[in-house]
Amino acid sequence: MCDITAVLSVDLLAQVLDWLHDSRDLKSCRLVSRAFLQAERMHRRAIRPLRLGPLPVLLRRYVGSLLSLDLSSCPSLDDSALSLSIPCPNNLRSVSLSRATGITWRGLEVLVSVCPKIEAIDISHCVGFGDREAAAVAKACWLKELRIDKCLKVTDVGLAKVAVGCSRLEKLGIKWCFEISDIGIDLLVKKCLELRELDISYLKVGNESLRSIASLPKLEDLALVGCEYIDDEGLYFLSNGNSSLQSIDVSRCLNVTSVGLTTLVEGQQRLRKINAGNCSPVLTSTFVSKLCTLGDTLIILKLDKLQISASALEIVGKNCRNLLEIGLSKCNGVTDEGISWLVEGCTHLSTIDLTCCLLVTDKSLFSIAACCRGVKCLRLESCVLISEKGLDQIATCCTDLKEIDLTDCNVNDNALKCLSRCSELLVLKIGLCSGVSDIGLSFIGSNCSKLLELDLYRCTAITDDGLAAISNGCKRMKKLNLCYCNQISDIGLAHLQLEELSDLELRGMVRITSSGITAMAMGCRGLTQLDLKRCYSVDDAGIWALAQYTENLRQLTISYCTVTGLGLCHILGSLRCLQDVKMVHLSWVSIEGFELALRASCGKLKKVKLLGKLQDVLSTELLQNLQARGCRIRWVNKPLVFKG
Amino acid sequence: MKQTIEEPLIESSSDSKMDLKLTRNSESFHKPNSSNHNLNSFNPVPQYFPNLTPPDFLSRAQNLQQNLKTKSNNSFEPNLNSGMATQNPPLDWDPHAMLSNLSFLEQKIHEVQSLVQSIIDQQAQFSGRPSELATRQQLATADLTCIIIQLISTAGSLLPSIKNTLLSNNPALRQLVNPDFNNNLKFEGLIRNFPETTKNSEYEDLIRNLDNEADWMKEPNPPPESDVVDTNPIDEHDLKESDDGDAEREHLPPGSYIVLQLEKEEILAPHTHFCVICGKGFKRDANLRMHMRGHGDEYKTPAALAKPSKEPGSDAHPVTRYSCPFVGCKRNKEHKKFQPLKTILCVKNHYKRSHCDKSYTCSRCHAKKFSVIADLKTHEKHCGRDKWQCSCGTTFSRKDKLFGHVALFQGHTPALPMDEVKASGSLQGNDEMTEDLGGYNGNFASEECLTGLDVKGIDEARGYFSPMNFDGFGALDEFGRGGFDLEDNPFAFIPSGFGQRSGDS
Repeated sequence: MCDITAVLSVDLLAQVLDWLHDSRDLKSCRLVSRAFLQAERMHRRAIRPLRLGPLPVLLRRYVGSLLSLDLSSCPSLDDSALSLSIPCPNNLRSVSLSRATGITWRGLEVLVSVCPKIEAIDISHCVGFGDREAAAVAKACWLKELRIDKCLKVTDVGLAKVAVGCSRLEKLGIKWCFEISDIGIDLLVKKCLELRELDISYLKVGNESLRSIASLPKLEDLALVGCEYIDDEGLYFLSNGNSSLQSIDVSRCLNVTSVGLTTLVEGQQRLRKINAGNCSPVLTSTFVSKLCTLGDTLIILKLDKLQISASALEIVGKNCRNLLEIGLSKCNGVTDEGISWLVEGCTHLSTIDLTCCLLVTDKSLFSIAACCRGVKCLRLESCVLISEKGLDQIATCCTDLKEIDLTDCNVNDNALKCLSRCSELLVLKIGLCSGVSDIGLSFIGSNCSKLLELDLYRCTAITDDGLAAISNGCKRMKKLNLCYCNQISDIGLAHLQLEELSDLELRGMVRITSSGITAMAMGCRGLTQLDLKRCYSVDDAGIWALAQYTENLRQLTISYCTVTGLGLCHILGSLRCLQDVKMVHLSWVSIEGFELALRASCGKLKKVKLLGKLQDVLSTELLQNLQARGCRIRWVNKPLVFKG
Repeated sequence: MKQTIEEPLIESSSDSKMDLKLTRNSESFHKPNSSNHNLNSFNPVPQYFPNLTPPDFLSRAQNLQQNLKTKSNNSFEPNLNSGMATQNPPLDWDPHAMLSNLSFLEQKIHEVQSLVQSIIDQQAQFSGRPSELATRQQLATADLTCIIIQLISTAGSLLPSIKNTLLSNNPALRQLVNPDFNNNLKFEGLIRNFPETTKNSEYEDLIRNLDNEADWMKEPNPPPESDVVDTNPIDEHDLKESDDGDAEREHLPPGSYIVLQLEKEEILAPHTHFCVICGKGFKRDANLRMHMRGHGDEYKTPAALAKPSKEPGSDAHPVTRYSCPFVGCKRNKEHKKFQPLKTILCVKNHYKRSHCDKSYTCSRCHAKKFSVIADLKTHEKHCGRDKWQCSCGTTFSRKDKLFGHVALFQGHTPALPMDEVKASGSLQGNDEMTEDLGGYNGNFASEECLTGLDVKGIDEARGYFSPMNFDGFGALDEFGRGGFDLEDNPFAFIPSGFGQRSGDS
């Protein structure tokens, strides 16, 4: 057998690999030969290990070329594991430790010191992190990108540490860091003049912060979602600042009105993205007319839950001709007339969100189909007046459609038949459409082979055959929701042979038993999230199968299942990736069973949901140990109610 | 007279570099005297009062009033002998000298009497020659002034015995303050040594001075608040504002001012006023002036004894700045970039802060030490409430103050709360981890390493930052370290011992 690298040099192979994006394809490529493995190793820039065990070996193998390391899905990652795994001379530029609750500031300090070139760090959702962790991160003086979203204990002091230490910061996310105040923001702005993106959503900061932020010379993207202390005065400061702003998100800022938005638009003429959803609901005509002065630069406009008249949409349509995305979710007053005015002008629209626009009918769909042929995403949840006629038109004209949300739209099999013509469809949501049956699904299964996500929530007419059609046709499916489709049995579940499937929801499927779960687990080994809540017939056998076959399972809900202590102990002990377990109302599990199972989890768990009564009977030592390892326990006090 | 008064004064101004006030005072006293030629024609005072020991201000004042009182009542017919001698039998008091003084006064008063009589007699003739009348009037005024001066001198010998009762009991002094009375006698010009002093207020000033000085003597403890503060050149508020940095802002061209350098002992002495002759120190200038009288009659004149005027003739004195005696200090005149100190108080504070041990420890935190007691007091006001600390060690009572400070200085960051407590643990933790890493030596440039880099004695660092205003005075010294606490500190990885050496060099 001749060496293939003699024909195909490593350089050429690397160029080929540039075109491979699917992890499955890369895997098969790796398996060809040692030479291919070597080429793939040299080519790889990013890695996202799922388990801790092979981490040091993996990193040592890839260390030369690796730029990006994502440890967010590594369970039981702690300081010593982190410092042991990261090899010392490395070129790492980006490290993600999102949700790595086992890490402390010591680990971060080591990370920063061994990765001298590090430019991006993500420690978001490490809820226990505070100023000391921020100070450790701040020692990475070359940092350009930092996310500390939901590090709940970070205060102004921590932010100041970051601001002083990382003065080259370009992107910063401090969403949900509730302790940060105007003073901290002011210092940040004074120290980090390179900031381009800033997310201060949900912070309790006021207009003074915006006054400071306005002086940032390079700021392009500002997110202020849910900043309840910010009002029009703050936006006035922003409008007088540097006119570099390109994107602003003031959604859920309840005190922001059209007046503030008008002044903002007046001052910031380069704005490309505006999200003003869920602000003070009245949209004045002056704002709309000012909006038009932005003209062709505006590409994204979200006005969720605002009062919008047809004439306003007409003005937008006539002036903002380059609009790519419009969000009109829950907008009162959106009519067919308004939509037709809008789409006549904005022919480049690719995303149209009409969620809960109750007045929209097929006429809107006709005009969308006629004008916006390039539309890729259409959200029509709860647009109850639309029918298969409109969808037929859409499917005929908008062949590029990738995502459509028809939840609660009362569509039927005919509509699905029409939609199945969109062969590019990736996401289909038809939850709560009780009119959809196996026939409709068979159209989808036979034509939409690229489908990645299918939502069949409470499509109660679907049976085993429908599921079989989908499983056979859409082999790339990653996410499937079958909740409360209670006609599906073990036979249907056995058809689920989807290697790519990572997220499966089987909540409330009362007919399935352990044998169905076993069959499914053998077919869908890549599962990371599984919801078996209220699958009353699933017992230890099913759990054992999961423990055996779905090694990557990270999130598991087994509330109300007939699992015993033994099964629980086994699954918590053997699944190495498991991080989040919801196990409420496991009546067959004894207190000792819970105790043993939680001990068996060995500190991998980051989130546990348990019945509140257990709080008093479980040993405090165990609970303290869990919490010390970064595990959050949610105690639920719900009565045990069986629902069919 | 002119000679005798002037000589020691010149001497003092050249000898004593410290007590400028005294010099200024005596000089300004001297000026108007010399301009008044009439005085020279009279008998010099020392000739008539050779044995006045110790001369005292208040007794003169009393004599003055009594004399004036009698004058106003009896048209300059003095009857001093009876009044003085009977009321106040002083202890070491020479009655012969007093008698000769009084007879001289009597003679003098008669002279004036005759002069005024002649003016009245020849009034008709004078109407055609107003200039001659003016000359006569001037003569009379001069004579009267002479009388007053001698009265004061004479009365001085009586003071020790009466000082405790004088002001409280004597209604005559109160009468003295009466402005109407004041109008009649225009002698202020000579006593108060102002070139043009015809205003009532200035006479009142003199009287008030007498008043205050008498009050001090009654109380052994600090002077009253109101007027006395003027005699102290710099009160506590001034002290803070006229700190080291002030002279820097002036940017006086070199050579445009005189540089004085006090010795270390002088600086550290607890007193601020020094006798130019014997070197004895005093806390108050007034006490010094009282002391000075013991060194000669020239210090007994009312002008020498009066409080130094508030606005000295600025032209008369060259701008004076001070040099720190510590060689190598930026405030030392030998330094290349010499920055002079503005006042003596600045010298004292600078020297103590920069070149002395910090002997005052805060009684609350037992951690902060100060060399200037005022600094300690300022610190103690805030101690315990300063929970906001910068990495340079400076503490603040308010978060926004700290953040303002951090915003101002490169490399400073807010210190984490409980930093010290956790600091030792952190080092250990790091060590463990480096061991775990198997030979990997991380650059744990934690703040603990840097605290070893104390830079005591480097005046550059301190001087560099000193113009800034800090929340507290204690900040200044901690701040010296700040220059070395930066992130890209070249010494960060060098053991602390080395850092110290390099700091001292």
